[in-house]
Amino acid sequence: MRRVPSVTAAVLAGALALTACGGSDSDGSSDGAGLSVGSAYMPQPVSDTMAAGFLVITNKGAAGEVLTRVTSEVAGEVTVHRTVGQTMEEAESLDIPAHGELVLQSGGDHLMFEQLKRKPREGEKVAVQLHFAKTSPITVEMPVKSATYNPKTGH
Amino acid sequence: MRKKLFAASALLVAATLTLSACGSGDSDNQSVADVSVEAGSDKAATILDQPFEKPDLVLTDTQGKPYDFRAETKGRPTLIYFGYTNCPDVCPLTMNNIAVAKKQLSKADQDKLRIVFVTTDPKRDTPAELGKWLKGIDPQVVGLTGDFATIQAGARTLGISIEPTSKDKNGKTISMHGTQVIAFSPKTDGGYVLYGEDATVDDYTKDLPKIIKGQNP
Repeated sequence: MRRVPSVTAAVLAGALALTACGGSDSDGSSDGAGLSVGSAYMPQPVSDTMAAGFLVITNKGAAGEVLTRVTSEVAGEVTVHRTVGQTMEEAESLDIPAHGELVLQSGGDHLMFEQLKRKPREGEKVAVQLHFAKTSPITVEMPVKSATYNPKTGH
Repeated sequence: MRKKLFAASALLVAATLTLSACGSGDSDNQSVADVSVEAGSDKAATILDQPFEKPDLVLTDTQGKPYDFRAETKGRPTLIYFGYTNCPDVCPLTMNNIAVAKKQLSKADQDKLRIVFVTTDPKRDTPAELGKWLKGIDPQVVGLTGDFATIQAGARTLGISIEPTSKDKNGKTISMHGTQVIAFSPKTDGGYVLYGEDATVDDYTKDLPKIIKGQNP
């Protein structure tokens, strides 16, 4: 877990709470106004057209936020998918409650990168922009992990 | 499917709950790696009291040739999973977990094992598409496609419920994958072990040598 020096103590605490379970080594990033992002990773995809991505957005603020759009340099389109039972459906937007978090994790809700411009390889980082209803966008450098990466064990 | 799971021991259920509590973002939990050090509480496998019969699936393989699942896998340790290639998360993870674990077996054991991926989205997953996708995972995996009704009926006999690919209100294509991997014994040809989506590379690595002998993992 490397951390950028500018993060606030609150964000640090948030990141630590997030990684207590995940043991993630993804860079935390924050807009300084209550939102922070951790546990980000992309498993190296099998397909050369699509990939999944996972992260946790923590909202330390007193007001709810909404993740409205996701963009990335590597994909023509990034959508947020809700896993409902055994199917996925595209979500228009996802709420990040006040003092709460939005968890995008394997087997649950996740980012879906489509129309890949190149195939991300393990060891690379993929820049992902998260756009919100109120807060200015946050850029996350999402590390590409092995196809079988398990955030619970960290390998 | 749920009913079958009740055959699992209370211990196993407890372990599963621990895992899912962690997975759902309760970040104050102990890491699963630590919890699973305890013997007996770390089983990803559910041993079925009443094994499944092999489904009567005659489909098309990635070469475009007919493949009779019962005949081809008779007396072979076999894993089956139902998924689709346009699935970014669970399907490639499940198949890669198995493929990575398989590579840790002896060459002889690798050759004994049959890993079968049956598409739940035969319209998009042609033999060529399936072959291309599986080549990125493990070229020894058998990929099957064909008539959806046949696939659905075969899955149903294993307690796996899938619906045909459909379009949502935005015109996006939606497919469905199975929720578990089923292992068949080379001794009885019965489907006697179930793995859920939480099964990891380590779980399969630990269990495959036993499954190859038809033993309980």
